[in-house]
Amino acid sequence: MPSILNRLRPYAMVAPALVVFSLFYLYPIGYMIHLSFHEWNFISPVKTYVGLNNYREMLADDTFLQVLRNSALYTVMTVLLATGTALPLAIWLNRKSAFHAFVQGAIFSPHIISLVSISLLWSWLMDPEYGLLNGLLHLFGISPLKWLNDPGTALVSLVIVAVWKSLGYNTLVFIAGLQSIPPELLEAAALDRSKPWTTFRRLILPMLSPTLFFLVIINLIGSFQVFETIAIMTQGGPINSTNTLVYYIYEYGFRFFKIGYASAAGVILLIIVGTLTLIYFRLLSRRVHYR
Amino acid sequence: MSMNDAGRRSAIGQAAGVRRPLAVRRIRAVLEAMLFAANRACMLLLVCAFALPFAWMLSTSLKTLPETMIFPPEWIPAEPVWSNYAVAWNSGPFLTYLLNSFIVSVGILILQMLTIIPAAYAFARFRFPGKGLLFGLVMATLMIPAQLIFLPVYLMLSDWKLLNTHLALILPFASSAFGIFLLRQSFMQTAEELIEAARLDNAPEWKIMLRIMAPLARPVLVTFALFSFITHWNDYFWPLVMTTNESARTLPLGIAKIRETEGTATWNVLMAANVMLAVPVLLAFFAAQRQIIRAFVYSGVK
Amino acid sequence: MARIELIDVVKRFKGETVIPNLNLTIREGSFTVLVGPSGCGKSTTLRMIAGLERQTSGDIRIDGELVNDTEPGKRDVAMVFQNYALYPNMTVRGNIEFGLKNRGVPKRERERLIRDICEIAGLTPYLDKKPQSLSGGQRQRVALARAMVKNPKVFILDEPLSNLDAKLRGQMRTELIELHKRLGTTFVYVTHDQVEAMSMGDRIVVMNKGEVMQAAPPMVLYEDPDNLFTAQFIGTPPMNVLPASRLPGLRTEGEGHAEFVGFRPEHALLSPETAELTREGLVIAGQIATRESLGAEQVYKLRCEAGSFFVKSFLNPYVGGDFALAVVPFERLYFFDRDGNRLRRLRAVRPQLAAAGV
Repeated sequence: MPSILNRLRPYAMVAPALVVFSLFYLYPIGYMIHLSFHEWNFISPVKTYVGLNNYREMLADDTFLQVLRNSALYTVMTVLLATGTALPLAIWLNRKSAFHAFVQGAIFSPHIISLVSISLLWSWLMDPEYGLLNGLLHLFGISPLKWLNDPGTALVSLVIVAVWKSLGYNTLVFIAGLQSIPPELLEAAALDRSKPWTTFRRLILPMLSPTLFFLVIINLIGSFQVFETIAIMTQGGPINSTNTLVYYIYEYGFRFFKIGYASAAGVILLIIVGTLTLIYFRLLSRRVHYR
Repeated sequence: MSMNDAGRRSAIGQAAGVRRPLAVRRIRAVLEAMLFAANRACMLLLVCAFALPFAWMLSTSLKTLPETMIFPPEWIPAEPVWSNYAVAWNSGPFLTYLLNSFIVSVGILILQMLTIIPAAYAFARFRFPGKGLLFGLVMATLMIPAQLIFLPVYLMLSDWKLLNTHLALILPFASSAFGIFLLRQSFMQTAEELIEAARLDNAPEWKIMLRIMAPLARPVLVTFALFSFITHWNDYFWPLVMTTNESARTLPLGIAKIRETEGTATWNVLMAANVMLAVPVLLAFFAAQRQIIRAFVYSGVK
Repeated sequence: MARIELIDVVKRFKGETVIPNLNLTIREGSFTVLVGPSGCGKSTTLRMIAGLERQTSGDIRIDGELVNDTEPGKRDVAMVFQNYALYPNMTVRGNIEFGLKNRGVPKRERERLIRDICEIAGLTPYLDKKPQSLSGGQRQRVALARAMVKNPKVFILDEPLSNLDAKLRGQMRTELIELHKRLGTTFVYVTHDQVEAMSMGDRIVVMNKGEVMQAAPPMVLYEDPDNLFTAQFIGTPPMNVLPASRLPGLRTEGEGHAEFVGFRPEHALLSPETAELTREGLVIAGQIATRESLGAEQVYKLRCEAGSFFVKSFLNPYVGGDFALAVVPFERLYFFDRDGNRLRRLRAVRPQLAAAGV
């Protein structure tokens, strides 16, 4: 009798967590895929099966294609800037002193603040008439920009906000990665009279590659899901220039009540995020362990 | 890093017995001091890029409305207008928002602790058929963001008549794949002898978990708790989707809503509200910077 | 006080047989030491007795009671671990109390037991300290106190002294012997250190590759080893073993064919010349390779035709140059067959006077 209890115990212990995951993560995904083949306005008692109609309609929709393009553009710019700048910054700031800790803390601080705060703050900084950013430009004799109000600059403005928020996090993750490189290795390289650039390219970069992959993927996935800044700062405008996937799904689901159609867009997001995740795990298992 | 390298290279130079004339050495020393100063100055400039926006937020929150409409902008208001904070606070049921935020964040944290400790313990300690599959399931949810499943979850919660309740904001986060992953890692590092000693002391399994293993994993639990609390305290997306009623909405939603009640251009009031939302978190951050940074960066180094 | 019996015990780990077939009885009230090189299965045996590991087949009895399916906490055994395994989050008191609480001992009783045990172990001033702030010796005492307070039938100690420095180790050794005398409980002690085994155990079980090579009191092991392994495992330096075929002066009578000849380093005598020594014992001529002086005793390493061997002498240092004759009394020779088993019915033949003249 006790041996049966012993055997059931592990299942009982993981059960609560797994119930939550199945109920709120795994089942909804199946449900969403199911809904994407239907037409439903949320209020009507009937869901009409429409096959691939939602997908067909979506792929024919110019707005959706623009949304995809916006998402991709936003993601690529954010990831390149946020991880590309973070690495040199990490190498520059990687020292253990009170001053360095202060600098690291300062650049990290936006990461722990609500995106609502950040969005409101930057809306004000980017105010086309009285904003601080235009004030700065004025100091250098540059004529003011319209930032979020101009379809040409709105998406880039959002990228700036995203980079400002995530730069510190990326830098600190890089620093953690740098500090996990055994110092003996760097000392050995110095004794071998390796030039700094060579040390970086042949030693530091390969040792840092797991961290780099991690950050790129996390930033990619995160950027594809951007919502808060758009909802608060631009509502997808002007003229859809900042409309991205999650906001698009949100609008179709909660403003136009086209549940099936929104679900189909959700499935597209699922495919993108899933692919990125798989690539990450594939790369992780294949080439990145020096430790 | 660059400073490090310079130091190391000069140390090697000296070790090799290269002696330079006094004048050259002196010039070098001056150059190095200047470089050091320039380096520090650049870092301070970097700090400004992150500190100035917050300073600007504070400054604006103390201005009169006309003062916000001066171009080029001015930093110091003629007379600080503290009443902006009162206006912001009275523009909505902020006490309710605050309370809701607290109930939701703490509620999530408690449920998470209840679910992740046993799960992580079972995954770390026992061998059982299907363990690999179940753990794979946990890891899969680690990669599913809320932004992906909000629509079907909304429909489910609507069916269960749970929209506009605290439960709608708490239940979906009642467990955490990230937490299970972290804690399992920590449990696996605990010395086997301690568990054996406890078994010889006739301790039942739950006691080994709660009295021996959990206290040993306390740093990880604290780290995770900080991460979880801050994440849900700040969350805007989920409460926005799951609630429409003021009575269930949280602080970030309330702050964002001021724009509608007080008008888009009342930046002084908006920034006052923003200070109320951001500054407590920032203060907490500077009080426990090391812990909080570790909490967030942990996931990146594994 | 309890007797422990292991009957036909087999242990396999992932298809690998660690213990092929073990039959061992540990007498009640004995201080039994399991000794052997690492990987010989001594720790596994110990852990099976404690119930931390389950045998693949066979029976284990403690005090006559079959404990195959008994949880470790219910076997009435206490264990002291190599690294003490003190709960780092509990005070000394908490560590000692934990087991009592789990047994449902009432609070009053617990307090009395802890007070008594701490007095004996000299831990009273440290009751409210955490283990991290104690020295190695103090932690050791806490581990012992934690085991003692449960008043177990069997005490199990897994290399408990290996983390202490040499001086403290010597001290703790005596303390453990005294403790055993006072408690009279069965002690099962595991070590890889034969000196520790010899000095502490009243019964030693020499193990190799999961099998018991010999189980006997220390002096029997030393003087009357069953096999080559035991002979060479016990003693510093170990017993010298030379192939019999390479020793021309040796003739034997009795049962069996000696493949190896062994003798203890302390039984050989060094001498510069032959004289009449050949009548007294086996003479081996060799070059002295190294000399080690330990004060009271000298250890020489000699190289001869048959191989090298050690000679230990308590006399004054040998002064006869680099060449020496080692003489081993015939009755001090041990013979072993090809498989390393002792040939007890074989004796060396003293050379006849007539033969000596040839």
